[in-house]
Amino acid sequence: MSKAAYINLSPAGTPFSRFVNLLWALAMRDLTGKYRRSALGLWWAFIQPLVLMLVFSMLRGFVNIPSDGLPYILFSYAALVPWTFFANSLSSCGPSIIDNAEVIKKIALPREVFPLAGITSAFFDFLMSGILLAGMMVWYKVPVGWSLVWLPVLVALAAAVAFSIGMLVAGLGTFRKDFIFAVPFLVQVWLFVTPVIYPISSVPDRWYFLYLLNPMVGVIEGFRTVLLKASPPPTEPLLASVAVTAVLLAVSWPTFRRLSAYFADVL
Amino acid sequence: MGHDIVIRVEGLWKRYGLPVPAAVRSAAAFLRGNRDSHDGDGPWALQEVNLEVRRGETVGIIGRNGAGKSTLLKVLAGVSAPTRGRVEVRGRVFPMIELNAGLHMELTGRENIRLLGAIMGLSRREIESKIPEIQDFCELGEWFDKPVRTYSSGMLARLGFGVAVNVESDIILIDETFAVGDLKFQNKSLARVKEMRESGATVLLVSHSLDTLQFVAARGVLLERGRVVAGGSSRETINAYETLVFRSEQERLQHKVRNRISSQEVMIHHARIVGDGGETITEVRAGNPFGVEVDLSIGRELERPLFSLGIVNAAGILCMWNISEEDGFTRPETGGRCRVRAWYESNHLATGAYEVHFAVRDASSFETLERIAGAASFAVIGPRRSRGVVAELCRWDVVPVGPGT
Repeated sequence: MSKAAYINLSPAGTPFSRFVNLLWALAMRDLTGKYRRSALGLWWAFIQPLVLMLVFSMLRGFVNIPSDGLPYILFSYAALVPWTFFANSLSSCGPSIIDNAEVIKKIALPREVFPLAGITSAFFDFLMSGILLAGMMVWYKVPVGWSLVWLPVLVALAAAVAFSIGMLVAGLGTFRKDFIFAVPFLVQVWLFVTPVIYPISSVPDRWYFLYLLNPMVGVIEGFRTVLLKASPPPTEPLLASVAVTAVLLAVSWPTFRRLSAYFADVL
Repeated sequence: MGHDIVIRVEGLWKRYGLPVPAAVRSAAAFLRGNRDSHDGDGPWALQEVNLEVRRGETVGIIGRNGAGKSTLLKVLAGVSAPTRGRVEVRGRVFPMIELNAGLHMELTGRENIRLLGAIMGLSRREIESKIPEIQDFCELGEWFDKPVRTYSSGMLARLGFGVAVNVESDIILIDETFAVGDLKFQNKSLARVKEMRESGATVLLVSHSLDTLQFVAARGVLLERGRVVAGGSSRETINAYETLVFRSEQERLQHKVRNRISSQEVMIHHARIVGDGGETITEVRAGNPFGVEVDLSIGRELERPLFSLGIVNAAGILCMWNISEEDGFTRPETGGRCRVRAWYESNHLATGAYEVHFAVRDASSFETLERIAGAASFAVIGPRRSRGVVAELCRWDVVPVGPGT
């Protein structure tokens, strides 16, 4: 039995520019397709974190949640915006392979482009909700400084976490849909083990290191620190987040690559 | 050898689905409680396929449904991984396989073209420069800027095809896409394929239209149950394919009595097709004489027995109908066990599968004693394509005619 191989001997593979071009086209398709027949369009993007914020603000009326001395609305919204980006990215990754079955079954493309396109279109929603956040920051006269240069890093990190988990979900979910069905529950649980609606200072010390294994801790805490406290993200959670994300990517990417050769067979 | 070969397939085996290690699979089966099931191994879609295609060649892949044609194209396109064997491709591969891949229903034709162009690997500038050409090719008119969800299926297909034929590639894989649109559009599409071929592209195509294959492809490969069973010129391959189809049709018709009216007075024991030497055959070479023999018992003396034989092709068209008396055969007072023989001295049947209808009557009382559809079956096999009901060569000539006459 010889080993199976498919080799394309042509000089150039997929050039990077082609990949980017495709990514852009798919993200635009997702966005325009999603909002074309809606009246509010992209404005839906900030309704989602806004509603969550209102819900949690009401919750705070019953339960005492500390907010590090910041107005709770601002405290929670500054975290809910990146959280929503992450949650939307992750949930768009899951079905991205199945939704693009028609393309995947016919044309050989780097399959990573499909979950990435989901993340890219979630990023546009994120930008929209960022506008409201910026407005709130102006309203509350939050001082900002050079620490804002950390924002792209944090966004990239959130995207990387979503991409690493999303690839696993998309890859495995193509074979067994259960993985995709599990995502909403995962996101819900994840929200409560991340300092979104409560500050990281509420986490008991003995759980702290275990807590840092959640790569979103560094991202969310980083966002809040950078935006509301005008200082660079806390080092410990950030480094932990980067390390865990690197491990996740090292596992999920090769798994996805291996599975992707058989996507066309089962779609 | 050398750079001239753009596709080389060596010992390709393909089975669908994720190759799960045996240990994992049996563990999963154990957990599910069915220890002795082996359903994890699907059937082989391709078995030991070897193929070499040179630059600029046009190869038609022919085969019945489920023979593995589309699977082969998918593996060549790099969409589906080979299970075993080696596939080497030299150059950009562009699969034109059902072209509305990736269309988004809410987007307009123009927006979808940008998307399809990106999927097919064009840069944004290339797409923009090609849009007028594509727009012209699709013939969508004002619909071009309307959401594709409002399109008819033919319009959708034209849109996809319009992009596809404007993509330049080294190797083009075409699967059943010529059936798109009306005759004019089909001709336009074929003309584009010809252009691409002339510019040095290699074309592999799958089509159920044998005529398209015959005229577009120079070479053919016949797949049957995942194996390459014949190859050569496209005409030879199409012929091998038709033979295959006729044989299987003949097998299907064999001993399949579809309709029978019987008076219980006649008993048909056996019917067969015989060749030159009196041997039983199931295949007749086109143009060769053959005979039909029916063994039967007649329960009473018939005053004026009348036998009739019909030959019906696979489409159910009665091709010949012979009645013994009209052919000048009379034999009074027949009864008991006998064998009716009919000999077709000149055979003009087109290639195909046929079945034999047989009837016994008594001409004096005009009673039908036995009528049987599908008493026997046979296939006519020959080098000519199956067209029409009868096959006969004609002599062709073109005579110049002066302008005044």
